Formats: sequence, structure tokens, C-alpha cells
Amino acid sequence: MTALLQVEGLARSFGAIKAVDGVSFEVGAGEVVGLIGPNGSGKSTLFNCILGQIGPSAGQVTFEGQQITRRSPLALNRLGIGRTFQMLQVFPRLSVRDNLIVAGQEHEGRLFGRLLAPPDAGLGAAADEMLEQFRLSHVAHQAAGDCSFGQQKLLDIAMAFMTGPRLVLLDEPAGGVNPNMLGDLHALLRRLNADRRTTFVVIEHNMEFVMRLCDRVLVLAQGRILAEGTPEQVRANPAVIEAYLGD
Amino acid sequence: MAEFVQLLVSGLATGAIYALAAMGFTLLWQTSQTINFAQGEFVMLPAFIMLSAIKLFGLPLYAAFGVSLLVSALLLGFGFKRLLVDPMIRHGVLPLVIATIALGIFLKEGVKLVYGAEALPFPEALPQGIWRFASVSVTVNDIGVLLLVFAMVLALQGFLSRTTTGRAMQAVAQNPDTARILGIDVPRMITYTFLVNAALVSVAALLITPVYLAKFDNGESIGLIAFIAAIVGGFNQIRGALVGGLLIGVIDNLSGAYISAAYREAFPLLLLIAVILFRPQGLLGRAEERRV
Repeated sequence: MTALLQVEGLARSFGAIKAVDGVSFEVGAGEVVGLIGPNGSGKSTLFNCILGQIGPSAGQVTFEGQQITRRSPLALNRLGIGRTFQMLQVFPRLSVRDNLIVAGQEHEGRLFGRLLAPPDAGLGAAADEMLEQFRLSHVAHQAAGDCSFGQQKLLDIAMAFMTGPRLVLLDEPAGGVNPNMLGDLHALLRRLNADRRTTFVVIEHNMEFVMRLCDRVLVLAQGRILAEGTPEQVRANPAVIEAYLGD
Repeated sequence: MAEFVQLLVSGLATGAIYALAAMGFTLLWQTSQTINFAQGEFVMLPAFIMLSAIKLFGLPLYAAFGVSLLVSALLLGFGFKRLLVDPMIRHGVLPLVIATIALGIFLKEGVKLVYGAEALPFPEALPQGIWRFASVSVTVNDIGVLLLVFAMVLALQGFLSRTTTGRAMQAVAQNPDTARILGIDVPRMITYTFLVNAALVSVAALLITPVYLAKFDNGESIGLIAFIAAIVGGFNQIRGALVGGLLIGVIDNLSGAYISAAYREAFPLLLLIAVILFRPQGLLGRAEERRV
């Protein structure tokens, strides 16, 4: 499988604390990779280093063969890398549909063209399709801030897809989502992976969710990769059980 | 009854002009956390730019207004952001607030130095005359002001909610970090907001100066009332600023006529205190949480 994302020797320290300590891994095109680990194991810092939100102390990141270390989040977004955050990042007073349009509109045309663009920036159909896929059509015209937490979470994920990314990094997509909706979310991400060939890297604390969703799982502990393999291999790994699953 | 209606209409017209300045206040706050205590002076200055254009180039009022729009966009929009807000906001909101107070004093004293302390006459911007409906008389000017301001508010709301640029400006106001990641040019959107504010204060100057005459210290009361209107209406809602402005214009007029002319300026302050005590997010504002 061709490597879409390559992370080599990535490290980041905060004073004497090594939050990420020489992490290397590859993600193949079309893969769904889970990143798990106890609290404080460096998962979010690793995400932030990959996505240019924190400069790494050492190491490099390559996307589709192109060196992207320390590129800005905006530049990465334009290259085809999307992300969602642990905390909701929707625009609360814009409607759900407008949130989706905003998420995609800056990729459409140049500044002058955008000033004269139609109100939906030509993204109305794409937004409607996304609303349908994420089962948000019934709240399309509601302010995002008035939606339930689960709906906002779905919107947050849907927004990441409005730019047609090839790689999406999801930070705790199941966090705070109603257990009844988790099955839908799993099916949705799997469908996006199958239909659009979108590659995912997923940080998640919900073990059941991540083990069902992912093709491969990386286990991070104290800033290093402790184990790697299929969900079954990781579940059976004694070091993982001791460091994490046994908690 | 006739007198009440007349006072109500003229209060609404004056309040609509306050609302223009108040809307600028809220826009700047929403996109850049700028509390501009020079906003009153920002309304005062375009009047003198218009007077200068009329006097120096012999321009008619509306051509002078066009000049004032351009100069205001340059000085009170672009220049204000680049020379004062950008360097000061890095140090926090409070240093910026103090800097805008200093800017207000600078503008006021500068105008006093150049044009003197006397009030100067200013041409009427709208047709004069009186319309009579039964026993009620209202001025054409008041109706014109109301229509013009409502048209501007609708245009502004339409721009913000129905254009890609306006939506991007709203996104920046609501969540600048995410907006940046999504590719929105955040500094540019903030600059647009400052330009919109420059246009709003220029129109406010055109409409209010014929009533108050052009005087260096006009900004003191206008700035304070606009600030109160923005808080009363809700600092995070444009339509709140409109409602706050209209309400204060009406309260000011009615309290002056029916309660006490001497204490008329106290009533908007009483309203401000009541709103802060009982509805701190403002009449139409939304309570919002802020991470610190």
C-alpha cells in the first residue's frame, strides 16, 4: 500500500517533559488508523505537530511524498488534510448549512470572485449532500449552537469533508456522542472511507468504537509507540494491556 | 397624543443615528475584540472632512460625503487598524481601550486646533419640511433618517448573511481559530469590518451634524450613547445595537419632555444599569462563554 502520510522521528518537548519522543509511522492511502493511549501519552501533541499547530523539536512529516513539517494548518488544509478537534469548533450563530458552506468556500475561486460569488458560493449542492449523509437535513437552517452536542459533533466532522480532503485526522469523534448515535457515526465514517477513499487517523478513548472502526491501531505511551497492529493483535498485546487496556 | 407621536418619531430618528455608531461598536468588538472609545470622535471627524471638502473644493454636500467616505475608510478604517489596533491588541484589550481613549482626545483636540472651538453650521443632508397626518406633524428629515438607516441595516444584514465574504466575516467573529484553519483570511476580514465601521460613522456624521452642528466635542456624547446602546441591545448582535440605539433615542426624547429636561441624560444611564443588573447579555444579546 502506498504511504499517504509518513511520520519520521517526530519529537516535541515542553521543558524537561518529552510529550512526543521520536515517533515514526506510516499511513497508507485508504487506511483507517487508530491512535490510542492513556491520558497524557502525547496523542493530541502528536496530532498538533503533524498538523503544524505546534512546531516539532525534531523529525519530519511527509504527505503524498511532499515534506509538510511546520506548514501552517491553512496550507495543510489546502493540500487536502482535514481535521476535527476534541472541543467542538463549529460557528455557533451560523446555520448548520452555512457552517458547511463556510468550511468549503475559501477553496472556491479567488478573493474578487468570492466577493461576487452566489450566496452559497456554489457549494449548496455539496452542503445538502453532506447534510443528508450526516443526517442533519432536519436542522439545516437551525443555528449550530442550538443543536444537540451530538449533532454539533457530526457537523464538526462533516465540515472537515467540505474541502474534499484525502486525509482526515479525527480527534475523539465519539467523545460525548450519544451511544445510540455511535453506530451511525461508525457506519458513516466507514462509508466515507469506502466511497471517497478518504484516509483517517483517529484518536479515540472509546475502545469499542476504535477497535470496530480501524484497520490498524497504534498505541502511544509516554510519547512513544508502544505497540502497533490490527485491533485483535493490539487487544492481545500484554504490554498494551498493562499500559492501557488493563487500567 | 400628537405631541407624544412627534416626540416618538424624532426620538426614533435620533436613536437610529446612534444605532449606526453602536453597530460599528459591536462589529469591531465581535471580530477583533476592539472596544473603540474614540467611536464618538469617529462620528465627529467625517463632518469636518466634509466641511473641508465643501470649503476647499467647492463640492456639493453629497460629493463631499463621498470624499469623507474615502478619507474615513483610509484613516478611521485601515489606518486605525494598522497603526493602533494591530500593535496594541497584542498587549490585551485594556491597553487598547486606553489607546482608543487617547486617540479620541487626540482627534478632539486636533480638530479644535484646526477649526476652533465654535460650532460650525452644516448643510442639511435630507429634504426639510413637515408632513401632517391628522393632528400629528413629523419632519421629512426624521422620516428620511429612519428610512435611510433601516435600508443600511438591511443592506448590512444582507451582506453579512447572504454573501460569502459576509459569512466569512461572521465566521471570524464567532471562531477565528477555526476560520483560519478553514482558509479564511482572518486579518482581511477584520480589515473589512473596520472599513464597514468607517462607512457607518461617516453616514452617522452626515445625518447628525445638521442637528448638532459641527463641533470638536460632539463625539463625547455620541460615543457614550453609542456605547450604552451597544450594551443595552447586546454587544454580540447587530440588531441589538439597532434596538439599543432606537430605545435610547426614544427614552432620551420622552424623558426630556415628560419627566425632567435637566436629567434627561441620566435616563439612558439608568437603563444601562438596569440591563447590566438584570440582563447582562443585553436585550437581544446571547449569553456566551469565553475561554480564559
